[in-house]
Amino acid sequence: MRTDTEACETSSASTDARLKECCLFLSEYSSALLGSGSTCMRLEKNVMSMAKALGYRVTMTILPRHIHLTVSSEDSNESITYIADVATLPIRFDIITRLSELSRDLVSGRVDLSGARREFKAIIGAKKIYDRRVVLLVGLANASFCRLFGGDAHAMAVVLLSTLAGYYLRRELTMRHTDMRLVFILCSFVSSVLAAGATLFGLGSTPEIALATSVLYLVPGVPFLNSFSDLIAGHYISSMCRLTNAMILTACLSIGFLGGLAVMNLSMFKLI
Amino acid sequence: MLLEIISDAFFAAIAAIGFAAISSPTRRAFFFCAVIAAAGHSLRYVLMMPGMKLNIVVSTFIAAFVMGIMAVKISNYAKMPPETCLFPALLPMIPGIYAYKSFGGMAMSVLHSGDIEFSKYFYIFADNGLMCVFIILGMVVGATIPVFAFKKKTIEASDK
Repeated sequence: MRTDTEACETSSASTDARLKECCLFLSEYSSALLGSGSTCMRLEKNVMSMAKALGYRVTMTILPRHIHLTVSSEDSNESITYIADVATLPIRFDIITRLSELSRDLVSGRVDLSGARREFKAIIGAKKIYDRRVVLLVGLANASFCRLFGGDAHAMAVVLLSTLAGYYLRRELTMRHTDMRLVFILCSFVSSVLAAGATLFGLGSTPEIALATSVLYLVPGVPFLNSFSDLIAGHYISSMCRLTNAMILTACLSIGFLGGLAVMNLSMFKLI
Repeated sequence: MLLEIISDAFFAAIAAIGFAAISSPTRRAFFFCAVIAAAGHSLRYVLMMPGMKLNIVVSTFIAAFVMGIMAVKISNYAKMPPETCLFPALLPMIPGIYAYKSFGGMAMSVLHSGDIEFSKYFYIFADNGLMCVFIILGMVVGATIPVFAFKKKTIEASDK
């Protein structure tokens, strides 16, 4: 027969194990969600509601490369702190959506903690589909963008071609893990040189619009939006980090573009 | 005129789908993105037409506000986070040309000395940079207000 002290120790050991499991899951979850490009607001909301459903309290510090997460029991007797690296992933809205669904399922009790951990692994393991259709969609999108700025059919065709070439290059280089800054410089150089062909051969009546919109598919829109969203939510460190990142990529885009224009003997400021 | 507005909405929808595809949203979100982007971009186009002649920052703010309301309504109905269909839909309104022109101006103002040349490029840098920052700020504030205003509702809907 077990004594009272032993029983107490066993139960406290199992509480410890559960707290630990919980903290580990929440820190992995936060790392993946923030790394996939979610806003800090979404991260806090999902993690807080899950911790509450599991019967714990959570306090977190969101730093540019790390997340500091303390999970404690309701009476604050037990607590565990984890520091997780933010995963370096491409921006994935499908992962953000599925991870948010997972937090909802956990809160509503449709899955328990171990089920949620299994499902989390499945979501993270799902590979991004590098589909050829995406290249075509991006090309069409940039061509429509050219139309929105007043470009004619010739300009749209030129933008379509230069975007297809540029985005294909970006995809190939990203798959070979080339530095993003170099990728941006090379892609904007290639796209702008190709689009300058419209001016060179006098295609259509709006060759300058084709040139100006040829590199717009590279503008890091989501990091800019996330940065300002964090700014409004009061997460200034994260906001500054994301803004700096987006500005560096935009600067690289400009360097490649200026280089392409210099090669073709054109000026950026006479375009639109 | 109506044709111009419809074509603006159509091309904005294609642009939203294509730019969203880079960040791989869920299959369902594509359709909602296209609808929200078409409505928002064409609204901005109308607001900036010679008749209304609103400033680009103000019209972007108003358009983003309407897009935010649409995204919250859709997210309640489709049970997904509002930003996963809202942010891709906002992408066609990102002031990309302002952004790269600003950096080009900065680079040129460093490379040129002398009063007139430097001032010209520094003006380009400041003008485009400020416009870019305030357009994005107006866009995000406009789009976030509805998400905050209906916050309770979105939480309740996502808890169901």
